[in-house]
Amino acid sequence: MLSINILLVVCLGYVALLFAIAFVVDYRTRQKPISWLHSPVVYTLSISIYCTSWTFYGAVGSAARNGLEFITIYLGPTLVFVGWWWLLRKLVRIGRAHRITSIADLISSRYGKSPTLAVLVTIIAVIATTPYIALQLQSVTRSYQVIAGEADGTTAAFWIAAGMALFTILFGTRNLDANERHHGVVAAIALEAIVKLVALIAVGIFVTYGVAGGFRDVFANVSPEAIRGVGDIFGPRWVTLTFLSAAAIICLPRQFQVTVVENIEERHLSTASWLFPLYMFGMTLFIMPIAIIGLKVMPEGANPDLFVLSLPLAEGRQDLALLAFLGGFSSATSMVIVAAIAVSTMVSNHVVMPIALRLMAYRNAVSGDVRNLLLISRRISIAAILGLGFLYFEINGGSDALAAIGLIAFVGVAQFLPSLIGGIFWRGATRTGAISGLLVGSALWAYTLFLPSFGGDFILSVSVLNEGPWGIEFLRPQALLGHTGLDPLVHAVVWSVGLNTLTFLVVSCLSVAGVLERLQGALFVDVYRSAGGAPSSFVTGMADSEDLFVLAQRILGDMPARRLFDELAHSQGLGSGLPHATDTLIARLEREFAGSIGAASAHAMVTRIAGRQTVGMTELIDIADETQQLIETSRQLEDKSAELELAAEQLRDVNRRLRALDTQKDEFLSQVSHELRTPMTSVRSFAEILMNEDGISDAEREKFVSIIHDETIRLTRLLDEILDMSRLEAGTMDLKLAPMRASDAVVAAIDTMSGITRTAGVTVDFQPHPGDDRISANADRVRQVLINILSNAVKYNTADRPRIDLRTHGDKEAFYIDVIDNGGGVTRDDVDMFFEKFSRGGAADNRDGAGLGLPISRAIMRAMNGDLTVEFAPDNTSFFRLRFERES
Amino acid sequence: MKNNADLQLSRRKVRGRSIALLLTGVAFLMPPIAGISLIDSDIGGMPVPMLYLFAIWAFLIVGAVALARPLRETEDTRSATRPTGAPD
Repeated sequence: MLSINILLVVCLGYVALLFAIAFVVDYRTRQKPISWLHSPVVYTLSISIYCTSWTFYGAVGSAARNGLEFITIYLGPTLVFVGWWWLLRKLVRIGRAHRITSIADLISSRYGKSPTLAVLVTIIAVIATTPYIALQLQSVTRSYQVIAGEADGTTAAFWIAAGMALFTILFGTRNLDANERHHGVVAAIALEAIVKLVALIAVGIFVTYGVAGGFRDVFANVSPEAIRGVGDIFGPRWVTLTFLSAAAIICLPRQFQVTVVENIEERHLSTASWLFPLYMFGMTLFIMPIAIIGLKVMPEGANPDLFVLSLPLAEGRQDLALLAFLGGFSSATSMVIVAAIAVSTMVSNHVVMPIALRLMAYRNAVSGDVRNLLLISRRISIAAILGLGFLYFEINGGSDALAAIGLIAFVGVAQFLPSLIGGIFWRGATRTGAISGLLVGSALWAYTLFLPSFGGDFILSVSVLNEGPWGIEFLRPQALLGHTGLDPLVHAVVWSVGLNTLTFLVVSCLSVAGVLERLQGALFVDVYRSAGGAPSSFVTGMADSEDLFVLAQRILGDMPARRLFDELAHSQGLGSGLPHATDTLIARLEREFAGSIGAASAHAMVTRIAGRQTVGMTELIDIADETQQLIETSRQLEDKSAELELAAEQLRDVNRRLRALDTQKDEFLSQVSHELRTPMTSVRSFAEILMNEDGISDAEREKFVSIIHDETIRLTRLLDEILDMSRLEAGTMDLKLAPMRASDAVVAAIDTMSGITRTAGVTVDFQPHPGDDRISANADRVRQVLINILSNAVKYNTADRPRIDLRTHGDKEAFYIDVIDNGGGVTRDDVDMFFEKFSRGGAADNRDGAGLGLPISRAIMRAMNGDLTVEFAPDNTSFFRLRFERES
Repeated sequence: MKNNADLQLSRRKVRGRSIALLLTGVAFLMPPIAGISLIDSDIGGMPVPMLYLFAIWAFLIVGAVALARPLRETEDTRSATRPTGAPD
């Protein structure tokens, strides 16, 4: 048997070590931040306060009684952490943006900074934490009794509670951090997390390989019931327990404290997402072997909750027993410290502060008075919470299994879940809905689980438990509406959480949210979109900088307030003095205060000083409407502007084309004038000679007259062509299209040209297309075009043996006539110029044509829905191609 | 530097995997699927139901390890650093 003295010395030494660590870290942090303290590993270790003495001792007890069921308590949190980015990240982001100090603060802040809601959540949290703290007291007391013999349980429990209260007060409330964070405490519980993990694994290895001969030996000859428990292991209780543990890791005040409030960097969550499940994995790995060996080795009637401690003792390993005791002690103290800090913060911020605010309104304000009040009220709250835990332990008799007590707390805090999840994902959730849901849920929890846990010793008598109040069986606490046969826990969860959620949903839908509530709702639900956390642009008010400074001194203390106001003044560009009390500044201050005293109290205090008015609903709607209208108008203007831009672009385009056409027209006119002028000049000069000179021979006279005649014919033809051209270009020439054979037109044109070609010595070859060559065209015009091209080919051919080939071919849509000559071809650069009016082939200097032949031919072809183009063969020789529409 | 569209795409992908992991975990740890492990025999000395639960658990941890970095990189977590060491 370990001596009590050794035990006490080791315990005190351990506590002193924790103290030293917490003190050093607090002291060092104040000088400059300690980097390893801000690591994701420390963050994860602090989250592991989830593993309390319920895990350390109770899990083995649970495994001994119900087999693998104990694992559900760790599967729920595992699932929540694996899906961290969905829920936990949002909570952390909201916590940061709104300076959230506790879960009560979060819920109250979300629902319009409602003080009522904050108080309600605080009360539920206190009640739910009480059995949990009692659980820790019970486990430490029992473990102490195991080592120190049958000491007086009550006395031991009392001193343990007192010691824990002292430690918590010393470290949890030494100061008020601006963000409600406790670096020293976090460092201490990180160490405790390592101690409990090492202790449990050490005991596990000893039991598995020291007492038994490995896993195979542990599980040899074990009945299946010992593993899967009696009855259906994967039944409603399994699902319920997993759900409860998942809810607890989010809603337990202490878990909220370490996961959200103490979080330094959001991305630490990504490490915790696997490291925390891994930690729990390690904690539970040897639970089953310890339970099974304990049942085998320990005498009948030994408390399985204490196997972790009693097994090493029974095997004579006092060193291991001491380590196990320290592990259990660590599990219990870390939980109690953080839970007490979290709950006392809630009590002081949401219960004491509002009352004090009323009382202090009539007294003179003193610098730091609010701050002192907060510290004192937190210290008293911590003592009170541990006192309540002790009372619960006393009344309850400390006889229950640890797991059963813990689950009562789990169901209690699970009541926060609907309002919490609804609050951060659903804008429609209202304060009234949250209050109603919480009231209904917690009342049902108290009635169906919490009060019955006293076994008829507290408020509900044994007869009420068995027969229902006033003998009404339908209202029996553990069989509401006559639902017997259901596990009491499943029964309580279904009724309390189920009706809580239902009430929350229905009342939220039926009630109307206030202005601040809507704003906060929007900021919470869309936290990733909103940059800050203060709805500064929606609050208006007047305040005196001095009043605000006094308030800051009262809440934050003298020096911090001075530092804050200097910083604010500096950010406003002021060298000295107090900053201007702008709306932004007031909002910022409210947020700073919220970090110390909670959103609801901060809002109340700032509103009192600044006399701020939140804008009314109608005003808000007006603002929204106006904004909407502005957006609409701006959008319409944008559309209009885009339309105008397009129209302007079109106009510019048209203008460009007009200018180009104008230039063309000018050129055309000057060319026409030039073309007309040449024959006119010769006509006039010959006419003048005939008129003025007498001695002209008849022969000469005849020659002159004939020149005049020729020139006028040329003029007429030129004018005809110009007329043709303009009519074709204007589209006023009506070409009657009719079905015809392309080869007929070609043959007719060759016949017409035969005289000229023979004279010029040009060989013309035509190879008609063997198949269908029907086209839709005007026969006269086709002939005109062909004659024009043929005569060009004859005229400009410079080859020794001039030759013209005509080929026809076609496809489905079009039919082609190619005119190929062996005279000097066209270069690709000349092609465009070729079809310009009055241009002639560079090779010839023939005055016969006016240069309108090709443009007219092309215009005719286009008027017949075809085209005339210059094509290039692979060997770069050019030829004309006439494209015709197929007969439809 | 990834551009925004790339980031959106990989974020969706990583989120999808994360949801898939979570749902797989829920499905295999809850009835009725978890019931398949109720075999009265052992593998390597470990009872099958216990081995099954710890295996799924380990799978979830491994999955979370694999997704931690991609999630950290695609989700916007960097901007959300709290001011540290706020003096009292």
